[in-house]
Amino acid sequence: MKKTNLKTKLLASVACISFGLTGFANAGAHSEDVYGPFPVTLKGYSGDCTNTVSYSGQVARHVQHDSLKHLSTKGDYSEMNSYYSGSDKNKQIWAPASKDGFPIKQTLLNDISSGKNLSGKTYKGTITSWPNNMTGPEVIDFWMSKAESNPKDVSVGLNYQQLLSKFIMGAVFYNQAIDNYLDEKMEADTKPNDKPYKDGACYTGKEHSWDEAFGYWGAAAHSLLLSAEQNYNVAKKKDLASADHNGDGVVDLKSEYVFAHAYYASSFDKGGKTTYLEDITRAFLDGRKLITSANGEKLSDAQRSELMGYVSIISENWEKVIAESVFKYAGSTYKSLVALEDVSNADLAKEFDKYMKYWGELKGFSMALQVGKDNIGETGTKLNRMVGFGPMLLDETQIVGIDVNGNYVMDKVYSMNDAKLHMLKIQKLMIDQFGVEARGNDMLSDMADLASKIGTSESAEND
Amino acid sequence: MEFFFDIFQNTIDQFTNPKKRVFILYLLLSIFIATLWLIFNKKKSLLQSIKFIFNPKVFFSKSAKSDYKVFFINQVIMLLISPHLLTQITIATALYFFFFEINFIDMGLFASSPKYIIISLFTLTHFIVDDFSKYIVHRWMHNWPFLWALHKVHHSATNLTPMTVFRTHPLEGLVFTLRSAFAQGVTISTFVYLFGGGVDLYTILGANLFVFLFNVFGSNLRHSHIGIRYWRWLEYILISPAQHHLHHSIAKEHYNKNYGAALAIWDWLFGSLHHSEDTDSLTLGLGTKDDQKKHSLKELYLTPFSESYKFLKRYFLKLFFFRKTKKNKSEIYFKKSPQ
Repeated sequence: MKKTNLKTKLLASVACISFGLTGFANAGAHSEDVYGPFPVTLKGYSGDCTNTVSYSGQVARHVQHDSLKHLSTKGDYSEMNSYYSGSDKNKQIWAPASKDGFPIKQTLLNDISSGKNLSGKTYKGTITSWPNNMTGPEVIDFWMSKAESNPKDVSVGLNYQQLLSKFIMGAVFYNQAIDNYLDEKMEADTKPNDKPYKDGACYTGKEHSWDEAFGYWGAAAHSLLLSAEQNYNVAKKKDLASADHNGDGVVDLKSEYVFAHAYYASSFDKGGKTTYLEDITRAFLDGRKLITSANGEKLSDAQRSELMGYVSIISENWEKVIAESVFKYAGSTYKSLVALEDVSNADLAKEFDKYMKYWGELKGFSMALQVGKDNIGETGTKLNRMVGFGPMLLDETQIVGIDVNGNYVMDKVYSMNDAKLHMLKIQKLMIDQFGVEARGNDMLSDMADLASKIGTSESAEND
Repeated sequence: MEFFFDIFQNTIDQFTNPKKRVFILYLLLSIFIATLWLIFNKKKSLLQSIKFIFNPKVFFSKSAKSDYKVFFINQVIMLLISPHLLTQITIATALYFFFFEINFIDMGLFASSPKYIIISLFTLTHFIVDDFSKYIVHRWMHNWPFLWALHKVHHSATNLTPMTVFRTHPLEGLVFTLRSAFAQGVTISTFVYLFGGGVDLYTILGANLFVFLFNVFGSNLRHSHIGIRYWRWLEYILISPAQHHLHHSIAKEHYNKNYGAALAIWDWLFGSLHHSEDTDSLTLGLGTKDDQKKHSLKELYLTPFSESYKFLKRYFLKLFFFRKTKKNKSEIYFKKSPQ
């Protein structure tokens, strides 16, 4: 018995030492590849601040989004809205919440940042992918009010949880980062680098604008030290060792967790065909190092032009991550449409539930794709027509509009066969327009595989 | 630098990739078959056979040397233009969408067929469609003057070697690439639409089973000086090397015969079949007085452009302005023209 104890203690000690060493190694090694800390460069600053990296407001909004997503299935409008529009109460973090083997440091929103909301940061332009010329916040509010009575409305085929989540990620995080912080705020005379972001701040205008965009991206500060698989598992709350960079035994949502599109990027990258997460996060890090190297002076033209090179990498790859998601869920929706053709009555409800989920994700991501910096023009129109306002139901009707009372108008526009074809055409559109490469659920890959097996058609040979 | 590396790699690939005609194994097997033919049919000794096969007068002839040059130059040209060409995937996808739109039978109608049937059917269909399209396009190359102006480059060879397969004008290469893309696109889209995701290809060393067999059984001898003949009945089904040699002959009775690549069935069906003869005394080329002058790079690359252009111009004027034009000198070469 004593012997066993000794052996157990020995093993435990070895494990502790290894764990400690790993933690130490994580904490200390490759700090060049970690987003922050960055020193104060602001001229004339005399406060106590030593690290200028600050994006807790963005993390708070990620948490508000995750919690809203969690609550959207419960159907309580006022609760949902308190996470969307903000609340003076210090609300609970519903998601991401601790689970066995994955303790999270913060439990209340104010543990991260107080007074934040999503509504004020939602894209205010007209959302052409949804009926009745609504603005971004109006679409969200409409969905939340609909979700109150029926979070998954089988009669029209809408899964509001998916719609809300995927659209908010675009209309808030993607739009704010790409169309605001990395756009207007990177102009030479806006938020200059020789002035504080706001009075009393220890960070410069450019430093903080860049950090805010990084916060919306959603990667962990140490994401570059992890593989795509590890990043993915952090977002799935399955890998504490990878998440806990400072080795304090808990996951700090402010810097150690992977949110939103960064998570989706990791999900594509782990397939090995793409490196979106690494490319975008690296561009953010290199851009931040460049701004820091200006040492509190206004950025020169050369520096700004280099910085805009990083902005291009970020914008193009971020857009591709969303396009990959559209591609993937068009594939899932197609599969569901095929499955629904032969489904037994016993499995119908389950299969239809999956169909609503996939279509909701497809719709949400396709709407998100249209709220970036650039108007995607005809591609958006094609996408909206092919995705529709609602999934095709089994009687071949679908939502075609919303009446003045906010009720959905249903009609038959095209056939089930056309609906399937649309999903394939959406996948092709994403390849042609955005050059997606990960191509999850590729419904046209059979043909590409066969073609590659046969070999190239290029031939300057005379048989 | 990367470009030169790609050229190098593509060139090596021609000899190391079993999907290619001049894959080293196919060349070795052709030598083996040729040796057997010469020993058993022509009653030559092994040494005589080897000497005959590796006849330097053939492989170092003016004609063969120009084959080698064209091979290298075309590697470069095709590397430059191939990324801009229409691919089989583009055609297959467009057709697949078209089948959807017209509701062409039910999608996946035969998807539940046994897998071995689907794969066998696809492997065979791909081979047959590809071979048939080769026949059709080859016939066009001879029958349409502006295409013949390009195809003449191939027929200007006065000695045949396995490398003559590459003696092709780049514009003709474009036509062939389009043909191959179209043949593949049609087969792939139709099969995937009707049979779903189970469609596959039976391959040996990565090459279509039938293409592999075609190559293993001496496809390289089509362009060689070894006139292997098949039994008469077999020459209705498969084109023998000697039958293809006749296709290159300048004799009038051999004009517009034996267009087929692997299968002779098409020639038989459409009246262009000619059984093999003893090919030892055949004269190959275009049959002009100055055939030996047709091996310069200018003749092989530039002349076809101007000749083809003249014919196209004449069509254009005839079609839109009803104008008759004088026949030009280049038509002298148009001997293998329409019957």
